[in-house]
Order: sequence, then structure tokens, then C-alpha cells
Amino acid sequence: MRRRWTVPYLFLAPFMILFLLFYFASIVYAVYLSLFIQRGIRPKVFSGLANYVRVLHDSQFLGSLATIARFGAIQIPIMLVLALLLALYLDGLRNQRLRTYLSLGFFLPYAMPTVIAGLLWGYLYSKGLSPFNQLLAPFGASIDFLGRRGLLWSLGNIITWTWTGYNMVILYSALRGVPGELYEAARIDGASNLQVVRFIKLPMVAPALALATLFSIIGTLQIFAEPFVLASLTFVPTNLMPNLYIYYTAFNYGNFNYAAALAVVLALITFVLSLGMLALLNFQRRRL
Amino acid sequence: MNRLNASAITWRVLVFVLSLYFLVPLIWLIMSSTKSTGQLFTTFGLWFAFPMHLGANIRGMASFQSGVVGRWMLNTVIYSGGVALLSTLFSSMAGYAFSRFEFPLKTVFNLMVLAAVLLPITALVLPIFLILHDIGLINTYWAVILPLLVNPLGVYLMLIFWDQGFPRELQDAAYLDGAGEWRVFWQVGLPLVRNGLLTVALFSFVSTWNNFFLPLVVLSKGDLYPITLGLAIWNSTTQTGAHVDYPAILVGALISVLPLIIAFFTLQRYWQAGLTAGSVK
Repeated sequence: MRRRWTVPYLFLAPFMILFLLFYFASIVYAVYLSLFIQRGIRPKVFSGLANYVRVLHDSQFLGSLATIARFGAIQIPIMLVLALLLALYLDGLRNQRLRTYLSLGFFLPYAMPTVIAGLLWGYLYSKGLSPFNQLLAPFGASIDFLGRRGLLWSLGNIITWTWTGYNMVILYSALRGVPGELYEAARIDGASNLQVVRFIKLPMVAPALALATLFSIIGTLQIFAEPFVLASLTFVPTNLMPNLYIYYTAFNYGNFNYAAALAVVLALITFVLSLGMLALLNFQRRRL
Repeated sequence: MNRLNASAITWRVLVFVLSLYFLVPLIWLIMSSTKSTGQLFTTFGLWFAFPMHLGANIRGMASFQSGVVGRWMLNTVIYSGGVALLSTLFSSMAGYAFSRFEFPLKTVFNLMVLAAVLLPITALVLPIFLILHDIGLINTYWAVILPLLVNPLGVYLMLIFWDQGFPRELQDAAYLDGAGEWRVFWQVGLPLVRNGLLTVALFSFVSTWNNFFLPLVVLSKGDLYPITLGLAIWNSTTQTGAHVDYPAILVGALISVLPLIIAFFTLQRYWQAGLTAGSVK
């Protein structure tokens, strides 16, 4: 039977039209807008790459990138190690029912809206409401979770709380995919538990772990809702995270042209970083 | 033997503490939504206080701005339901094209889907705002729904489900019976990948329910807000004002997560299916 050449394109059309509109056209339009400078109410002036030169010298924006890099360098490893430990524990658990309950409990925070998670933790951190400080009160101690020094750690805790279970399920699925014969062979060879983990389980979850790292990096660059919500409870610098700075530049200061340049740069950083990670992963996979 | 026991006990304690850690915010939310403002500050946060004020808190929430919270919930259902329905259809169509056809631009289209995976919609919220603004869609339901219909992970998931769930022999048999392309897809194929459709719909439903950045930027009319945005704005406006109605906000938060928790427990095998397939790819 001869099939008409248009058929696959018709099946792709709804997805592709929306993709072209919201990914391609929106970026092109943002690039176009970023080439103009806005001064008060006067008409916009074409200014070439002036906005981008300003981005490169914008200490506020560069500061937000530095913060997010430091934040990710600490938060992502903690979260993934925790997720890996839990996945290994669940994988070694013989009690089927306990395994189901625990994995559901750990995964539950993922189903919570980030805003609600931010709001709840915000209350749990706040001076009057925090049950942690209620527990510490008899000892005359209290923790300033939302102070200048605590803020980023508190934020890291919210992100870790939300995403550990999600990453755990991904790693756990990868562990479940390990063929049983491999373990039997190892047992016959007299391998200890630790050796099984080190020489069978870890190499088998390595690709899933790498993928989880990639998605964590992409996600970290986009953090917005949690610090935005905390800003109603405490002082949060407007340039704490890149997306926060872009939002305030556009909607508090009304400088859409400059915000467009910032957004283009952030999208570019995200894309190049994840493409680089992906290339690295493929390279390593081919070498193995 | 002793050493083994010690390590087993350490593991058990660690896992118990972590389970508590993951559940504490939820426990606190449930306890707190039954308390009055005074009790919130004077009683221990992780236990009940009597008399309970759940009824009064629900009334307080329901009467806020003459019942706008109900409207927010309805909006959230419209956004999540609309996006889940349409994005699952579009993803399954695109996945079908990749699974069943060879065509000249296939590689290019494949790369476009990959690019969309690597660049999440939150990275493009401002550009999307700018373009929606010029089309004139700001402050409409479409402003939230249309961008979220681009669901690249859904396309990949459906590609896998099509490859596994719809045998090519069956497809060919349907052609021989004289069925057209659309009928083969719609009447013969789709029922066979039902589980895949439910998985993709679940993920897109929950991620739309949880979305915040996009509605914050494209909506400024209170009666279009989804519940997440409504509660966040309510919280921030009362924080700056004199009267902070914590209990009513907390009941709202509880109600906004209840449907998710129910979906979470009743549809658990679909979660597993989605994440397993996703990590294999």
C-alpha cells in the first residue's frame, strides 16, 4: 500500500506548531526585543548588542549565577547521595509491602506543588510557628532559618525534600533492571554485600545517576517558586537566583528589553550546559 | 554477626528518620489546618490542639473574597484537565509519527524534541509572556494551557509505549482491512497503549497543577488564578497587611494537595511506569 507523504507530518503537526510558537518564535522574538533599549517613556532605540554588553557587566546577574553554581555544587550531591542510599536500601529490602510503603512515602513530596512546599517550609522556618524552634525553646535555643546565613541552606532543604524521592525512584528502577543471574554469579564467587554494591549495583545505576545529575542541573538553573514564596516571609535578595532577577527586572522595574536579553542568556547557558553534559555522557558510554 | 546487626540497626534508624523528614511538612499541615490562629502559635505544631477549629477554618477560607478559593480550585481543574487531555493526545500523535513512519525531516524533528527536553518551559517564561502579550492572549485560560501543551517527555514516553504496545503485524492487518491512517491510529492503536496514555496524562496533569511561574506571569486577574498562585498571592498580601489569616490559607493548601495525594496513591503503578520508561530512554 502506498502511503501519502503528508501523513507523518499531519501526526506531528499539533505538537510541532506549538513547539515552533513557544520555543522557536518566542526565542527569536525575545532576541529581537533584546536589541532595543528602553529609557523611561521615550520610544525604544535600536542599540545592537548593548544589552548583552550590559549583561556581561551586570554584577547582580553574575552574582546570581555564582550563587546558583555554589548552591548546586552543594545541594545536588547531597540530594543524589541520599537518593542513591535510599534506592540501595529499598533494593536490598526483602519485605515487599514495606518496600512499597517506604518508596511511596519518600516519593510523596514530588506530588506537592512547589509553591505549597515553599509555603509550608516557610511557615516551618518562621519565628512564631516553627515546631523545630518550639522543641528547642526549653533549652533557650532557636535557629534563624530565614536569616542571611541560613536562607540558602533552608532553600536547599526545600529542594532536597521535594526531589530526593523522585531521583530515588529513577535510581531504584535502574537497580531493579539488574539481571538476577548477575547477583547469583557474584554470590557463587563469594562476593560480600559491599562488593556487590561496589562492583555490580553502582556500575549498573551509573547511567541513570548521570541522567539524574543532568536533570538536576537543568532544574537548579530554573529555581523560582521557592525563593519567590519565601520572599513574602523574609528578606530575599532580588538577585538570589537568575530567574528571580529576570522576573523582578521585567515585572517590578518594567525593563522588558533588558529582561529579554537576560532570559536569552540564561536559556543559552542552560542549553549549552545540558548539551555539553549529554555529549560527555555519550562519549563515556561509547568508551565503556 | 554482631557487626551485621549494628549496620542493620543504623540503616533502620536512618530510614525511619528520613521517613519522618519527608512526612513532617504534611503532618504539620494536617495538624495546623485544624487550629485557630492563637493555637498555631501557642500549641506544639506536630500535634492536635483542642477544641478543633477545622470547621471554622473551612468557613473562613470559603468566605474569603466571597468564595474566590472555590473559583481557584475550579480554574486549576480546568487548566490541569485541559492540558492533560490535549497534551496527551498531541504527544501520542507525535510519538506515533516517530514510531511508525520514515520521513525526510525525521532527524530534525527528533532534535527539536530533544532540545525541548533540555530547555524546560520555565527557562522561557519571559519570552513566552512577550509573545503571548503580542498575540493578545494575556489574562486568558489559553495563556496557561497552550504553552504547557508542548510536552517533549510525553512524546518520548509515547514513542516507547507505541514501540512496545502496538505490534506492526496488527497495524498491517488493519491496513489490509481497508482502515485509513487515522482510524488505524485512533481505533486500533490507541486502545492498545491505554496504560501509556494514562501515564503521560498523569504526569502532565500533576505538573500543570503544580505550575506556578507561568500563571504568575501571564495572569493578573484574580478570578483566573489557579489555586497555587491564588494561595501564594493571598499569603504575600496578608503578610504585608495587618491581618494574617494563617488557618484559612492552610486549609486552602490542604485542599489544594488532597486531590494530588489521592491521585498519588490510587495511580501509583503509572508513576512507576513513567519514571522507569523515562530513565531507560
